[in-house]
Amino acid sequence: MIVLSALSLILWLILVPFCMGLLICRILPPSRQTVGITFLVGYLLSFAVFEVISIPCMISIQYGAFSTCCTIFAVVSILIAVAGLVVNVLHTIKELKSVAYGNIQESFLDGAKEVALIIFPGELRAGAEDMMNPRRDIAGMKKSFSKEDLLYWFLFIGLVVFQLFMAVTRASFDGDDAYYVTESLLAQQQDVMNTVLPYTGTSTSLDIRHALAVFTMWIAFIAKMSGIHATIMSHTIIPVVLISLTYVIYLEIGRILLHRRQEFLPIFMIIMALIQMFGNVSIYTTETFFLTRTWQGKSMTGNFVMPMIIWLMLWIAEDEIGKLSQKRATPWILLALTTMSSGIFSSMGAILGTALLCLISLALLIYTRHWKLIFKTFLVCIPSGVYVLLYLFLRI
Amino acid sequence: MYGIFMEIWVILKLYAGTGFFVGLFLAALIYLAICEKEMHKKILLVFVPAVLFVIFMLPISRIVFVAVMDDGETYYRILWMIPMGVVIAYATCKLFAEYRRVGLIISTIVVIASGSLVYNSSNVTKAENAYHLPQTAIDIVDSIYPEGSTGKERVAFPASLVHYVRQYNTNILMPYGREMVVTQWYYYNAVYEAMEKAETISCEDLLTATRETKCKYIVLHETRAIDGDLTEYGLKLVDTIDGYQIFYDSSVEY
Repeated sequence: MIVLSALSLILWLILVPFCMGLLICRILPPSRQTVGITFLVGYLLSFAVFEVISIPCMISIQYGAFSTCCTIFAVVSILIAVAGLVVNVLHTIKELKSVAYGNIQESFLDGAKEVALIIFPGELRAGAEDMMNPRRDIAGMKKSFSKEDLLYWFLFIGLVVFQLFMAVTRASFDGDDAYYVTESLLAQQQDVMNTVLPYTGTSTSLDIRHALAVFTMWIAFIAKMSGIHATIMSHTIIPVVLISLTYVIYLEIGRILLHRRQEFLPIFMIIMALIQMFGNVSIYTTETFFLTRTWQGKSMTGNFVMPMIIWLMLWIAEDEIGKLSQKRATPWILLALTTMSSGIFSSMGAILGTALLCLISLALLIYTRHWKLIFKTFLVCIPSGVYVLLYLFLRI
Repeated sequence: MYGIFMEIWVILKLYAGTGFFVGLFLAALIYLAICEKEMHKKILLVFVPAVLFVIFMLPISRIVFVAVMDDGETYYRILWMIPMGVVIAYATCKLFAEYRRVGLIISTIVVIASGSLVYNSSNVTKAENAYHLPQTAIDIVDSIYPEGSTGKERVAFPASLVHYVRQYNTNILMPYGREMVVTQWYYYNAVYEAMEKAETISCEDLLTATRETKCKYIVLHETRAIDGDLTEYGLKLVDTIDGYQIFYDSSVEY
């Protein structure tokens, strides 16, 4: 039973989101085709798809809503994951046949490395870009980008591992869990979606303020598929995934900010990790939510949606203003997925995320006078617009 | 307007705690405003955060927020839109561009000294089990609803346990839950009145309330003041776990 649960967790928390990400990965620029971003966009896609499937199930199905939702979501996720896998296998075969990768490798390991770099060319990004920078002293850079950098990276990884260890071994009391975690457990044990009052167990009508934020149901889905109690899933397993994902976003933010000074990236990440650990200056900060209420949708609003928007808008701003001006559609597609999935975490997340996105777009518009920004921003705001309209419609 | 501004000021003070962290952010913001040359970074890390901060401080924003969200208590979440950590971390990297080691040591000291370690919070404790729930609550629920049980049981729990019970087993129903413990949500509930509000529990009042709400079990801590013995009223003491006594009321039928 434990082995089956573990295998199921590997399938639904690693393999499926990763393969879903592979589908999006191919539209990213090569420098951003990395393992971390693949996971990130895979989860983003998973959240977005889950929202589209679960909300109609919740609203329209009276009995067995959660089971139906799980079946549809599982099938759709697997289909997308398989599509991602097939696209990448075909891409790899095509690349291997080409001249550049046509040579027979000396060993299996070299071959595997080559295949990995075909799928994730972005893993070479930092090294290649630094080498191409004419202002850098390559000999000096090689010297400095050695043991000291490794030490900094180990320090950062050590801090993250410590946070993950604490997430598993420390319990944090929060009264809201009596609502959110119980909602997940109700879905798993009673097959309902937000139609039973978590506090007492009496039946209730849909509480729209919370019901559209179906992140609790997403957690319940993983719990149901793995056969693990939803409370264990929320408190012990999900934080490990979400904390790691958040650091991938910060890593990408750091990569853009420290474009020509990648040797500062581990320092940036160490400071970020320290800020997360020591940011508990009050119970209201995102940092406090990040490490003590990781599994709650509101925490994901502050620690996943907002950093995602900052990362993607930094990317867009770099494209719009930077010297290597290359306007790509990719970050806008990812932004649309972000606004689409922001509602899964909290209704407020959808509104605040969209507001942040619009404010940054406005600032870029004022500076660049690129009027197309208005159209692009409008398009990526459509998912959250639909969400808000649905919220208002159901509330009336 | 002045009153609303003062409300916002209080919210900011509550958010900032000691204020060192927000101070650090403002210092980083000013530093980047002066020293950052690349415009895309300046827009994202200086202009937008500054505008958001101003928007947050405006009374009209709070009025609109309350009208739209129907909730004034979560106004502080506007501050979540400001990437304070990113601004601080990036400004530090930029400030110490030529002195990486010194920069890391100084920034580590500053962050640790100005912040508060999340794991030192009184809300964080060593987990007793994988559920991250008190083992006592789990043992009580297991005693009432052993593995293999079917159907649902309504149980009156003391306020100290209501948060945890249904996070473990949703087949346990309760006459009142967490909503009674949160002061602003409080409403009249006969079982809560009898179990928690009374200085000394009246057996008669408690049983009238629990039988009316069909509670088959009552859980009380043995130190809780009560004016009699529940077993004398026909209840059976089925178990005692960590000082919590579990009484079974056979007169209640669903």
